Amino acid sequence: MDILWFGVLAVLLLGYFALEGSGIGLGMLLPVLGRDQEGRDRVVAAMAPFVLANEVWLVAVAGVLFGAYPRAEGEVLFGLYPLVVSLLVSWIVRDAGLWFRRRLDGRAWRAGWDGAICLGSCGLAFSWGAALVASANGMSITPLGLAGGAAVAAALAFHGWTFASWRLPGRVTGASRGTGALLVSACAAAAPAAALLAGAAPWLLERTAPADTLTVLNLMILPFAPLMVAGQVWVWRTFGPGRAPERIPSFF
Amino acid sequence: MDVLDLARTQFAVTGSLHFLFVVLTLGLAPLVAIMQTVWTVRGNPVHERMTRFWGQIYVINYALGIVTGLVMEFQFGLNWSGLSHYAGDVFGAPLAIETLGAFFLESTFLGLWIFGWHRLPRGLHLACIWIVTLTAYASAFWIMVANSFLQNPAGTVDRGGHLELVDFGALLTNPMLTMALPHVIGAALLTGGSVVMGASAYNLFRRTAEQEFFTKSLRLGVAVAAVGVAVTVAFGFAQFGPVGQFQPGKFDDKPLAGAGLGFMILIGELLQFVIVLFLLPVIRWLPRWRWAHPIVMLVTPLPFLAAVLGWLAREAGRQPWLIHGKLTVADAMSPGLTSGMVTASLIAFTAVLGLLAVVDYVLIGRVVRRGPATVALGAGPAPEPERAAALSL
Repeated sequence: MDILWFGVLAVLLLGYFALEGSGIGLGMLLPVLGRDQEGRDRVVAAMAPFVLANEVWLVAVAGVLFGAYPRAEGEVLFGLYPLVVSLLVSWIVRDAGLWFRRRLDGRAWRAGWDGAICLGSCGLAFSWGAALVASANGMSITPLGLAGGAAVAAALAFHGWTFASWRLPGRVTGASRGTGALLVSACAAAAPAAALLAGAAPWLLERTAPADTLTVLNLMILPFAPLMVAGQVWVWRTFGPGRAPERIPSFF
Repeated sequence: MDVLDLARTQFAVTGSLHFLFVVLTLGLAPLVAIMQTVWTVRGNPVHERMTRFWGQIYVINYALGIVTGLVMEFQFGLNWSGLSHYAGDVFGAPLAIETLGAFFLESTFLGLWIFGWHRLPRGLHLACIWIVTLTAYASAFWIMVANSFLQNPAGTVDRGGHLELVDFGALLTNPMLTMALPHVIGAALLTGGSVVMGASAYNLFRRTAEQEFFTKSLRLGVAVAAVGVAVTVAFGFAQFGPVGQFQPGKFDDKPLAGAGLGFMILIGELLQFVIVLFLLPVIRWLPRWRWAHPIVMLVTPLPFLAAVLGWLAREAGRQPWLIHGKLTVADAMSPGLTSGMVTASLIAFTAVLGLLAVVDYVLIGRVVRRGPATVALGAGPAPEPERAAALSL
C-alpha cells in the first residue's frame, strides 16, 4: 500500500505538470502568441476547456499529501512558506483572469485580465521552479531557486507552445505539431518534478500514514478512480483538435 | 496582535470568504440541475433560458469558491502544521477523500458542462451537471466530517503523542456531524433560493419584459428557500443536544461565539417568519404584487450573513481548542511561524481575495440586471461567415 500511494502521488504531481503545464506555458506566452485582442482570445479559447480538468490535479496532490503523508505535508508547505504563498497568489490571479476576462465587453477590461493571466502564469512557473530547487536542498530557499524558476518557465513555455501548435495547427504559432510532439513536451514539463520525486522517495515513504488510514483511503477513493479517468479522457476527446468547432463562443 | 491572533485572523477571513461563495454554489447547483432536467424532459425553451441564466450566476460565483478554497487547503500546512503532525493520520483522510473522490470529479465535469454546450449530446451534458451537484454535496459531507472531528474527535485514540484512527465509522456518525450537516445543507438551499427569489423580484419590480421567466423563477426560489429555512432552523436547534453533551459551555464567556449564535438565530427566525409564514402562502400571487418585491429583495443578503455568523459561533466556541480536548490552537501553530510571515500572507490573501470577491459580486449583479437575453453560458454558435455573406447577397 505504501508503494501504491507513492504511485498515486507521483502520477498526480507529474500529471499536473504534463497537463496544466501547457496552460501555464500558454499563459506566459499570451502577449507573444496573441499580439492583438483576437489573437489572445484564440489562445485562451484553445486552452479554456482543459483548465478546470487540469488544475485540479494539484488540488489532488495536496489532498494526497495531507491524507497519505500527513507528516510530510506540514514540513513541505511550512518549509517553503514564501514560495507556497506566491504560488497560491499567482494561481488565484491567473484563474481570476481566465474567469473574468469575458464577463464585461470593454477592451481595456479584457486586456487587463489578459495581463493578469500572463503575470499569474509567470508567477506560477517561477514559484514552482524555486520550490522544486528548495525542496531538493532540504527546504532552504537560495538564489539558485531563480535559475530553477527560469528552467521550469522555459520548459512550460515550450510545452504551451507545442500545445497551441497541436490544438490549433498553423494558426497560433505558425507551426503544426502532432500528438507525439505533445507527449515529448509534456515529459519535458514534468521532468523537473520527476527528478525531485525520485530523490525524495525514501524521505516521503518514511512519512507514510499508518496502514489503517491508507485502508480508509483505498476504500473511499479507489472506487472513484474509473470515473476520474473517464472524465479526464472525455475532456481530451471532446475538446481535442478538429473536434470542437470554434464558432461556439468560448466562455473564458 | 501576536502571531497566533494573526494566523487565526487569516483562517477566519479566508474561511468566511470561502463559505460565502460555497454556500451559494451548494444552493444553486441543484436548482440549475433541476431546471436543465425539466428542459431536457419537456423541451420548453423557458427552462433552457433559466438553466443558462441561473447557471451563469452559478459559475461566476463558483470562480471565487475555487480560488478561496485553494487558500483553505494549503493554509493547514502553512500555518497549522501542528495539526497534521498530531492528527494528520485522522484529519488528513476526509480531506484527501474530499479532494480526490469529490472535488476532482466536480471540477472535471464542471469544465465539461461549461464548455460542452452544443458539443455534448443533451443527455450526457445533463449528466455532467448532476455529477457536479452530487460531488459538491459529497465535498460538503467530507469537509463537515473533518470539521466535526475537530469539534469532537470520535473514533480516535491518542497513542504516543499522535492521534490514531481506530473507528472510521465513528468518524462518520459523529453526533457533532449528524445534526450539523443537514443544517449546512438547509442553509445552502435557503441561500440559493433567496438569491433566485431576490433577483427575480428585482426584475419583476423593474417591469422587465421577462415576466414569465421571472414569475417561474420567483416561485421556485420561494419554495426552495422555504424548505431550506425550515431544515436550517430545525437542525440548528437540534444541535444544542450534542453541543451540550460534547462541548458544554461552548458559548459561555466567549463574546464572538455568543454574538454569532444570537444574531444567527435572530436572522433564522426572521427569515422563517417572512418566507414560510408570509411569502410561501401567497406564492401564487406574489409575482404580481409589486409592493411586496422590495421585501423579497431586502431579505436576500440575510442568509449569507447568518451563514458566516454560524461558522463564527461553531469555530470561536471551540476555542482554545483546535481539536476539542486534545490539541490547543496555540500548540497546533507551525513551530517557527513568525508575525512577519503571517502578516505578509494575510495582507496578500485578504487584498487579492477581497478585491476579487467585490468584482465577482459586481459581475453577478450585472448579470441579474441585464437579464436572460445576453447570457454567455451556453450561447449558440455564431452564424458561419460564408453563409452569412451568401444570405446578405
